[in-house]
Amino acid sequence: MGAIVYGHFTDEPDLLKAVKELQNKGIRIADVRTPFPVHGLDKALKYRRSHLPKVAFIAGVAGAVLMFYFQYWVFTEGWPLNFGGKPYFSVLSFIPGTFEITILFAAFAMGIAFLVRSNLGPGSIPDILDENVTDDHFQIILSEKENRLSETELSEALSATGALDVKHVNGEK
Amino acid sequence: MHVSPVREPLINGEKSYKDITNDVMAPIRAKPGKLWFVGLGISMLVMLVGFAMIGYTVWFGIGTWGVNRTIGWGWGITNFVWWVGIGHAGTFISAILLLFRQKWRTSINRAAEAMTIFAVMCAGLFPLIHMGRLPLGFFILPYPNTRELWVNFNSPLLWDVFAITAYLLVSLLFWYMGLIPDLGTIRDRMKTLWKKKVYNFLSFGWKGSARHWQRHESMSLILAGLAAPLVLSVHTIVSFDFATSVIPGWHTTIFPPYFVSGAVFSGFAMVLTLMIVTRKVLNLQEYITVGHVESMNKVIIATGSIVGIAYITELFMAWYSGVEYERYAFLNRAMGPYAWAYWIMMTCNVISPQLLWFKKLRRNLTFTFVLSIFINIGMWFERFVIVVTSLHRDYLPSSWSMYKPTWVEVAIYLGTFGLFFTLFFLFIRVFPVIALAEVKSVLRSSARKFIGKPVKNQPSEKQ
Amino acid sequence: MSEEKKYWHLLEEFEPLNDVRVAGKPDVNASPTSRRNFLKVLGLGTASAALIASCKRPVEKAIPYFIQPEEIIPGKAAYYASSYFNQNEFCNVLVKVRDNRPIKLEPNPKSVVTPNGTSGRVQASVLDVYNTNRYKNPQKNRGPIDWETADGEIMEQLQQIAKSGKPVLLITPTIISPSTKKLIAAFKETFGAEWQQYDAIPMDGYRKANLQSFGADALPEYDFEKADCIVSVGCDFLGTWLSPVEFSGQYAKRRDLHNENSGLNKHYQIEAGMSLTGSNADVRIRVERTDYGKILAYIYNKLASELGDAVLGAFVPAQEITQKLDKIVAALLANEGRSLVLCGDNHPDSQSIVNGINQMLGNVGETVKFDRTYNHYQGSEKWKETLLNSDPDAVIVWDVNPVYNHPESDKIKAAIEKAQLSIAISSLPDETAELCTYILPSPGYLECWDDAEYKKGVFSVLQPTLHKLFDSRQAQETLLAWLENEISWRDYIKEHWTSTYFAQQNENTDPDRFWVEILKSGELVLPEEATLLSFQSGETEKSIQHIASEKTAEGFTIELVENINAGTGHGPLNPWLQECPDPVTRIAWDNYASIAPSVARQMGIKNGDVIQLGNLAIPAFVQPGQAEKTISIAIGYGRVTGVPEEIVTGVNAYPLAKIENGMRRFAIPGFSIEKTGRFEKMALIQGHQSMEGRPIVRESTFDKWKENPAAGNELHEQVQHHHTTLYQGYEYKGHKWGMAIDLNKCIGCSACVLACNTENNIPVVGKQESIRHHEMHWIRIDRYYNGDEENPEVVRQPVMCQHCDNAPCENVCPVAATNHSSEGLNQMAYNRCIGTRYCNNNCPYKVRRFNWYDYTGADAIPKNRFDPANMTVDLARMRHNPDVTVRSKGVIEKCSFCVQRIQEKKLTAKSEGRPLPDGELQTACQQACPANAIVFGDMNDPNSKVSKMIKNPRNYHLLEEIHTLPSVGYLTKIRNKS
Repeated sequence: MGAIVYGHFTDEPDLLKAVKELQNKGIRIADVRTPFPVHGLDKALKYRRSHLPKVAFIAGVAGAVLMFYFQYWVFTEGWPLNFGGKPYFSVLSFIPGTFEITILFAAFAMGIAFLVRSNLGPGSIPDILDENVTDDHFQIILSEKENRLSETELSEALSATGALDVKHVNGEK
Repeated sequence: MHVSPVREPLINGEKSYKDITNDVMAPIRAKPGKLWFVGLGISMLVMLVGFAMIGYTVWFGIGTWGVNRTIGWGWGITNFVWWVGIGHAGTFISAILLLFRQKWRTSINRAAEAMTIFAVMCAGLFPLIHMGRLPLGFFILPYPNTRELWVNFNSPLLWDVFAITAYLLVSLLFWYMGLIPDLGTIRDRMKTLWKKKVYNFLSFGWKGSARHWQRHESMSLILAGLAAPLVLSVHTIVSFDFATSVIPGWHTTIFPPYFVSGAVFSGFAMVLTLMIVTRKVLNLQEYITVGHVESMNKVIIATGSIVGIAYITELFMAWYSGVEYERYAFLNRAMGPYAWAYWIMMTCNVISPQLLWFKKLRRNLTFTFVLSIFINIGMWFERFVIVVTSLHRDYLPSSWSMYKPTWVEVAIYLGTFGLFFTLFFLFIRVFPVIALAEVKSVLRSSARKFIGKPVKNQPSEKQ
Repeated sequence: MSEEKKYWHLLEEFEPLNDVRVAGKPDVNASPTSRRNFLKVLGLGTASAALIASCKRPVEKAIPYFIQPEEIIPGKAAYYASSYFNQNEFCNVLVKVRDNRPIKLEPNPKSVVTPNGTSGRVQASVLDVYNTNRYKNPQKNRGPIDWETADGEIMEQLQQIAKSGKPVLLITPTIISPSTKKLIAAFKETFGAEWQQYDAIPMDGYRKANLQSFGADALPEYDFEKADCIVSVGCDFLGTWLSPVEFSGQYAKRRDLHNENSGLNKHYQIEAGMSLTGSNADVRIRVERTDYGKILAYIYNKLASELGDAVLGAFVPAQEITQKLDKIVAALLANEGRSLVLCGDNHPDSQSIVNGINQMLGNVGETVKFDRTYNHYQGSEKWKETLLNSDPDAVIVWDVNPVYNHPESDKIKAAIEKAQLSIAISSLPDETAELCTYILPSPGYLECWDDAEYKKGVFSVLQPTLHKLFDSRQAQETLLAWLENEISWRDYIKEHWTSTYFAQQNENTDPDRFWVEILKSGELVLPEEATLLSFQSGETEKSIQHIASEKTAEGFTIELVENINAGTGHGPLNPWLQECPDPVTRIAWDNYASIAPSVARQMGIKNGDVIQLGNLAIPAFVQPGQAEKTISIAIGYGRVTGVPEEIVTGVNAYPLAKIENGMRRFAIPGFSIEKTGRFEKMALIQGHQSMEGRPIVRESTFDKWKENPAAGNELHEQVQHHHTTLYQGYEYKGHKWGMAIDLNKCIGCSACVLACNTENNIPVVGKQESIRHHEMHWIRIDRYYNGDEENPEVVRQPVMCQHCDNAPCENVCPVAATNHSSEGLNQMAYNRCIGTRYCNNNCPYKVRRFNWYDYTGADAIPKNRFDPANMTVDLARMRHNPDVTVRSKGVIEKCSFCVQRIQEKKLTAKSEGRPLPDGELQTACQQACPANAIVFGDMNDPNSKVSKMIKNPRNYHLLEEIHTLPSVGYLTKIRNKS
């Protein structure tokens, strides 16, 4: 990969301002790292809406169908038993189980999807440039590869937005 | 910048983001104090005694308990329902209050969720150990077997299995997903390498990237959306254990809402009990403010009043139904041999929370603390009244009898407290008791005086 | 059912039997080729195999047949006709034998005495054979000795004593065996012995009175079936008096509203303590125990004046009851010749008045007959006089225990110890046997040959169904040995029968055939010859004067009563009987002093407060209906010797009895109650006594019933209308099992409870567990009082699993361990049950039982056995019914409608290619019920007895309003108040 330029801000409005400025200059921002979700940042960065809700929905539906059919099968095909004179296909009894499994599937499918999609997970080693991004630094990262500008130009542009101690890492490094 | 006129600040004192990090991480950074070791020691001891008694029960049989041919469920199920109830606050706070955009939740939801999970663990223990044949407990799972025999999906007890399992897992997921960024924060504050490694492992390699935040946000929202009905479903299903039966005093359609509000009621009480102590011990007074306590007290009035109304409705319906068995069941609750339990329940759950209408009391920590304990006792007795007094005099007077717990049952109950507090003590040492990122995100809007930058330049964290 | 049942006779039948019975152990090498020898080995083999077999790993220890004997089909039961006799219990039974072990007693439907059922004690008696405490070999001064030497020494001494002319005293209980009598006669003349009979509970007063009134030293036959009006003064004829099994059968026929030819009888009970019989009476009048004589005298006089006979002296009892008595007298006059007056007091005066009354009413010859007099209760106090006065050198005590059950036990003890030769012939250790020099163990009655003449001309046989378990020898064999008679005891009996009774009958022409037939049917009835009696009223006159001269007793009167379970003292040795709650008080494992509620209130006594009565400290029990000045205490408890101390319970009340002109009396006046301040928890199985006005037991009166057969059962009609459901009901093709219980016939004797115990291997949990309400009975008999506590009315209701079609228990079992069979049975899969007890909570009838501990030893976890009554020792396990699973710790169990019997009968019918006829299939409880109150059958068969009863307007279902649709129906109780 090419060289990387990064600097940080100590407050969210400064960050958002900077993001706008850089984008006006037509500079593509590789990544922004913040200690907490900055309101409106994703819009500023023009991120598409996440697909996680869809994942949850599909998994939920799958869970529901699966569980309901399983119960239906057990009571009517698998081994029909007479419990207290109830009909074999006693729908009402199937609702609680179905409901719980639906939620379970939806929740976990989404959780797993999130981790996979963000390739987070046990043992994943992050590329941390400034440890304070998890504390109180709002960091902007620019990559030389994504932009036609040179490393120095990028760092200037970044400093121009008021970013504090702008640093750069060479690609070789 | 400005304090909202209607609402008092959620965070007292002048705080920078860094201050928050430091304050919340203090207990994790600092060496554990004597008090902590003493606390942990005692809890573990009690827990071990409880486990020993569980072993004793499994070995010699349920005969070691006080239950009998008439009262098949005693303290065991009472404690189960009680603990599940306790375990409702956490997810209620983080899920439902999130959906309602209640910012004040942020300071308490982490600890509350942890409490939820520990409580549900304690709860889950009881349905297992009250089985006559625990070693064969796995029969309750619908696993394919050579007999091709499945389980009975008509049984509320089986619904419980699904409900409790789902609830425990989803709560864990919700809690842990919330923890990931904060674990990242801790990782980056850690000096020693192995600690860094451990926390990095736990934080799943979090780096606070904007995309991750975006996904994390939407996931949290949906999870909250899923967890909210789940919370309501769990105690609804627990109430089915009784509501779907034929025993007078159990066979009541009012149970689901009544149980859920009761659960939230007791859950919040337990959160208060713990929080009022924790905020002092870990000096987080500025994050968990009297304002928080008051808001929770408001929830307690609401749920407590619902419970009170439910009690009265029950009585009315018993009379109005004209069913003699039903009538007798409730007469027996109020005037029978277990009337004392009923009146403890009434005083603690119906009368005492009404005192919270007074703002002074709402904001009085000592009072709230005492009250919260009263409510916990009251709610335990509610379950005792429902389980035992309904059973001990049901349809045929020839089978009526009395129930008295044995020391084995008592020890097991105490043991679950041991388990609960052991886990809680460990939790406050290794995990942030306050959701760092969430508090930071509301700092600007809800702090008494907002300072983005540190007041004075603190030594940089970089090594 | 009797059709397909095989009446077996033993194999010894076909070959001379000489060495087996005398020799302690069968001599295996005697003649290896002989089939009998082989079977002896086999018998011993299986018996001892079972003896050492423990339930943990049966496979290792079971010994398979190396040659299949044709008579024994594994898994198939054989039935032997035999009889049970003990004190007031006589019953012709069929012994169910599985793999050489008797496991159950069933009534012999061919019997003329007890065709209907058995009593609880009879049911439980099968366990006595497997009692670990039995003497296992002969003893001399506590040391073991072998039979030969013992015989040698004893015979030598007996001969010496005989020469010296000193008496040899043989004390036995009443012997009803003609062969034994013959044998004893021989023994008497050889050794100049004196033979006396002794009954723990005396009836010599009756005999004396009958001798004086009718000139017959006998106990007459009573015909309760014929009696339209029964007046019983403190006589517990349904529970413990004279011949209860027989009487309950007759009585119940007259409580049956379905047999048209005879209406409902009218039963007055005049008594002090609440007895089983009193609790079943139409009208119960509470009087003091000491007033029995006066009451009878009053009735006599009233009748006499009405009938214009001589009134024997003006006589007025406590007048608050006179008008009640006048009603009774009117009723008696209305039923001359068809009434029956009884008194339970062993006092010649009362009895001769009773005789006078029955004579006056013309009942003698009708309901009181002397043609077939009873042969039991021959005992008197003579033996004691002989023992104490003419100090005998040799005392032989044979199955009697006076040291325990006689008020003068100290003197008796001394006398026996003084005798130079004292011999005890006993199966179990007891207080008396333990005093004797020689202890000669005798086998249980299921290991013995014997015969019986219970009633004059009614003969039965007893045959062994089990190879002798220990080195024991039957008393009769012992006598034969001492008489140096080579003949075997069995042959002795056969010889006696063929020589004496063969001639008197004419069914069989060949003596051997005759004997075989007898063994098959178990009974021989010779034609009765009418006896002419002349009545002397003089005695009655004297008696009334005696009673008139009696001054009223001071203080409290204690009445010693026989408890239906404990009996005269055999009960406490039998855990089943101990655990079965008393049908009136519902207390198990204990005896107690029943006191009146008013007294209790005055003195502030609560249940379980130990009170001091003379030298007797005993917990008190507040008994509704108890007379104020009378305290009832059950005898038969407090046995110590020969009882493992885990099951020693109660206190011995026999010492309270007092001797009054040569007779033991069980009503002793002049006591005062002192509180000791101590408290003793009793196993009160039913804590709550009232129905709380719920329609649980529905009852009405005879008159109302005649107008409207659904009287008292109006609710049933209403509920039927409300039965609507969203689901279409489950369709039961083929069989649909159901049960109907006639509450009017159930007398609460608890025979069903014990039959169920036996059939279904129900564990015994002991006193402490019973106190904690951990009892395991699958069927219980609920008892409720209503009306005033001074003299309440009593209702009873046997409750077992109702096998509901909409069973609440089935819905809630998470693992599907309990569900509904295609034949309407609510079935349990024990090995699937994980013991959540949810089903038990959700059962409105609370009939499900949970294995709180490892009661049976079937549990996988080691060292956690809970068996206070030694019911899991290998010997006791031999009694298990192999068709019924033994349940392990932590599982729920309950009534299965005897599903093992259902399957067996269905399969038999199927293999014989015929439909299963109604009535062939009987549950254990139904079979044992002496009153035939329980009917079981197929409700899909419109003609079956049960479906007819279910259709009866009297039928209702327990808690039918909650729509559980039980398969058990109850028929309303109808009291005869007219």
